[in-house]
Amino acid sequence: MAPLRGVRYPLRMPPADPFPGPPPSAPEEATLIDIRHVSRRYRRGVDEVHALEDVSLRISPGRFVAFMGPSGSGKSTLMNLVSGLDRPSEGEVVVAGQSLGDLDEDELAAWRARHVGLIFQFFNLIPVLDARDNVALPLLLTELGKAERHRRAETALRVVGLDHRLDHRPNTLSGGEQQRVAIARAIVTDPDLIVADEPTGDLDAKNAEATLGLLRELTDAFGKTIVMVTHDPRALRFVDEVFHLDKGLLLEGSDAERASEAIRLAAGGHASAGARP
Amino acid sequence: MLPLSYSVRNVVARPTRSLMTALVVALVVVACTLLLGLISSLKHTLVSTGHPLNLVVMRKGSDNDGSSQITLEAFQSIRFQDGIARDAEERPLVSPELVVQPFFRTRDGGRENVLVRGVEAAALGVHDDVRIVEGRMLRPSAGEAVVGRGALGRYADATVGSELEFGRGRWKVVGVMESGGSSFESEVWVDARELANDARRPFPYSGVRLRAASAADLERLERRIDADPRFAIEAVPEPEYYRKQASSANTLYVIVIGIAVLAGLGAGFGAANTMYAAVQSRTAEIGTLRALGFSRGAILAAFEVEAVALSLLGFALGAALSWLLSVALSRWLGGIAFGASTFTTNVVTLRLSLADLGGALLLALAVGLGGGLGPAWRAARLRPIEALRRA
Repeated sequence: MAPLRGVRYPLRMPPADPFPGPPPSAPEEATLIDIRHVSRRYRRGVDEVHALEDVSLRISPGRFVAFMGPSGSGKSTLMNLVSGLDRPSEGEVVVAGQSLGDLDEDELAAWRARHVGLIFQFFNLIPVLDARDNVALPLLLTELGKAERHRRAETALRVVGLDHRLDHRPNTLSGGEQQRVAIARAIVTDPDLIVADEPTGDLDAKNAEATLGLLRELTDAFGKTIVMVTHDPRALRFVDEVFHLDKGLLLEGSDAERASEAIRLAAGGHASAGARP
Repeated sequence: MLPLSYSVRNVVARPTRSLMTALVVALVVVACTLLLGLISSLKHTLVSTGHPLNLVVMRKGSDNDGSSQITLEAFQSIRFQDGIARDAEERPLVSPELVVQPFFRTRDGGRENVLVRGVEAAALGVHDDVRIVEGRMLRPSAGEAVVGRGALGRYADATVGSELEFGRGRWKVVGVMESGGSSFESEVWVDARELANDARRPFPYSGVRLRAASAADLERLERRIDADPRFAIEAVPEPEYYRKQASSANTLYVIVIGIAVLAGLGAGFGAANTMYAAVQSRTAEIGTLRALGFSRGAILAAFEVEAVALSLLGFALGAALSWLLSVALSRWLGGIAFGASTFTTNVVTLRLSLADLGGALLLALAVGLGGGLGPAWRAARLRPIEALRRA
């Protein structure tokens, strides 16, 4: 793909200290993500799997939300649809005013580069690139020069507290550090939306807490909208809202409350505070 | 697009696999370079023999010196034609020559036909690219010989001061000649009359070489000699004569190209295998890049660049190895012997030209691009969601 001509990613992060200054405020009433009657079915051999059935939900900007549910509930499928990695069989996904169904593969790739920051469970860093180059990778799709790309990557790494590890390759970093590099990569383009797939799934408790805290701060300090898929009950203490899914359906009302309660009970004291209001 | 360094670092990051693939390409480059070098050296040896103002006069229907005969009368009629260049003493530059092909003993105990050329004093005037680089020119009727640089050291006793034994006599080597790599360097020159006596030839000469005063004179002389009804002789420009001799290399050329293509295909499969393995082992990486927003074209280009980088590495290794081998072949074996169409032996000094290396480079690039295309296409076709899931 050619660089996105004319596109600039104004990194609103400060150049020095992490998180100083007031966060940019997002309009509460606006909707960043609008999922309308979305279903996703796919074939597995001769069987048709109903991964999602008629799901509708809205997410406002500046919110940190979690999709939770047991394995096979459809939460990852929903995350893939929101991030433009997959397409629904039925229904419509609108993110930041863009109906993703209107975009072809390469347009969708360009849209992701511009609007979505991705965080994966296994970090998915490029092994042959050092931390700075890994973080700068999405900026290759802009017309920024090398020096500016590096400057922004260093700023993003400073935000996640890894500016002393610029030249380290992934295999010389701990799991927690690798995930922070991945978070820096997700924010370096200043995207509208950050999507995290089980970001604490491969981390120990301490690093998991730190990662969730960092994501929370991204929302608080920079007004980032974060959609996270997780099994981790600790997440309840950090997120604004939880969407529970089960067998491809979005749970609502008393079903959703029961699911939240089950997670709290399973987690013991970890999730006692519950989701933030 | 992904930066060049991404592809190059991936080559470096997997040194064993990269080196194995590069070595496969290097072997193809060595084979291709040496074979192309051999052909171009052979062609150079044959084609560069011949002056544009020289004519070769032979019996009609003969296609080389060895099968031609010229009578003394015919020689005399040619010698005084108008339009022939003259030396400083106003003698016409006409060299009557007798060619025989006796067996010589090689230093390793074998036997080879060597072109022995009987010449007279005018020979060095007509063949002005021939220079005596060691010793001196032979004297007539003295049982002396000069040997070409290619023959020197290849045959027993073919050194200055030694006595060569062929035909019915012995010939003292008094000099060594060079001619810029042309086929004269594979010959032995002796006195024409002594050679005729030794070979008991009924006609004194095989053919006549002459130097025309100008290009226009060359054409006129050619026409006049061809049209002379008294003698069944014809004149051929010397470069054309050697070009025909060089045509024997054309078949070899086709064979070499065929071998190079087959070897290139093999190396292409090797490169493809490596790249398929790379795609397989980096599915998550490809999925990540696609998820981050890199297009199919960017992924395709990155993997192609990686394949080409591997083949360029192979080319560099192969070119260096070829150069070493060519030096070794020339130094230790004294060149490579080729059977000429006259059944004599041409000793070719292997010289790798830029064109030979260019040919091998093209082959290496084709191996890289061709071998990398399938895997790169497969990588580019991966949907990000599938790649991430598979990983």
